[in-house]
Amino acid sequence: MLLSAVAAGETEALEILHRRHAPWLRARLRYRCSDNDQLDAALQETFLAVWRNAGSFTPRPGDSDAGAWLWTIAIRQLISQLRKRANRWIAESEPEPYETIGDASAEDTVLLNIEHGPLGAALHELSPELRSAIQATVLDGLTVREAAEILQIPEGTVKTRVMRAKARLREALTT
Amino acid sequence: MSWHLTHDQLHRYAAHTADDVTAMSAEAHLTHCAHCRSLLPADEDWLDRSWADLRDVVDQPRRGAVERLLSAIGLRENTAKLLAATPQLYRAWLGATVLVLTMALAVAHEVPRGSLLFSITAPVVPLIGVALAYGRGVDPAHSLTSVTPLAGYRLLFLRTAAVLVPALVLCTTAALLMPSVSTLSEAVFWLLPALAMVAGCLALSRWMALSLAGGGVGAAWLLALVLLGATDGLDPLLLFTPTAQASWATALALLAGVVLLRVRAA
Repeated sequence: MLLSAVAAGETEALEILHRRHAPWLRARLRYRCSDNDQLDAALQETFLAVWRNAGSFTPRPGDSDAGAWLWTIAIRQLISQLRKRANRWIAESEPEPYETIGDASAEDTVLLNIEHGPLGAALHELSPELRSAIQATVLDGLTVREAAEILQIPEGTVKTRVMRAKARLREALTT
Repeated sequence: MSWHLTHDQLHRYAAHTADDVTAMSAEAHLTHCAHCRSLLPADEDWLDRSWADLRDVVDQPRRGAVERLLSAIGLRENTAKLLAATPQLYRAWLGATVLVLTMALAVAHEVPRGSLLFSITAPVVPLIGVALAYGRGVDPAHSLTSVTPLAGYRLLFLRTAAVLVPALVLCTTAALLMPSVSTLSEAVFWLLPALAMVAGCLALSRWMALSLAGGGVGAAWLLALVLLGATDGLDPLLLFTPTAQASWATALALLAGVVLLRVRAA
């Protein structure tokens, strides 16, 4: 597979991976950060991390390819870029290991299937604040702390917003 | 996967004009659908530039063992690279040194008074190396390096150090294998003359090319040996007596002082 070739140190494989994944990762990151420089830096770091850690990729059940894995790396690199910009005078903390949401709850699984079913309409009804909280925690697979950083709100606010958003969605989907 | 994003949805998503919910929907789908990802419009120029930047980092040659060892003992990365790369410039000298020292050793073991040959060669080995380490005629990249901020004394001394260390190690090893030598202090009789001559060569390089200075000092050494050998009652080995060693030490201190003054003034 492509990633094992990258792990073996083949730059051609990395080029194919970059060509295949950089465009959509960039498009997706652009919805989270409007600064193109930081965005490109985050992408650069993402592929460097892939270059160094390609061997550690283990597909989770349900993954058709490395897409989800690459996204978790990319979004965390973006957060660390934003953190660098914000706290340039504070020592860089250890980067967190690339772990995803873990076992998604049944609710989250429903949410991840936005493209099917009546969920889209329900999401439309949410306020932008609640929607971005759901987006960061469920769709992007971030921890509460990371979500707080990228949304620039306190962790407690993230938690309450996610709870309220889920309650609203549940309501909208059951009635 | 049976469901796919429409052409229109993909374009709006890529152009950053999709509304929040469509964007979330597109993202949830794109994470797992290679088909739609490949249809997503991409900025080819940006993609090429981004890959070029990435390749610059990824395509760097892996660092060699010597370089890693040098950085491990605390040298800065670029200094380590420079020191590790220097032997490429004088590989021929390194080979010749090993050959000459081996032959001198063989002669010392086989021929009576053969150790004289070693005594003559050992002090000039570092000198020749230093003379060939820096300068227009010997370094193919000299005209390039001479305009970098690194050029000048810093580069000269780094190169000298890169030559001296292997030269001194080789000569000491060879001296320890000599038949007449039993202790380490006996094995370094050539060290002070060698260092004094290197310092003299560096001091002279103010007025002439380093290789020329090295040649001059080497010629003076040979001349002294010939004169001592040809004169009745004198012996070339007089150059290594304790009294002579004291003079070498004084000369070394003086010449090192001259070199340091020159660096200060520069």
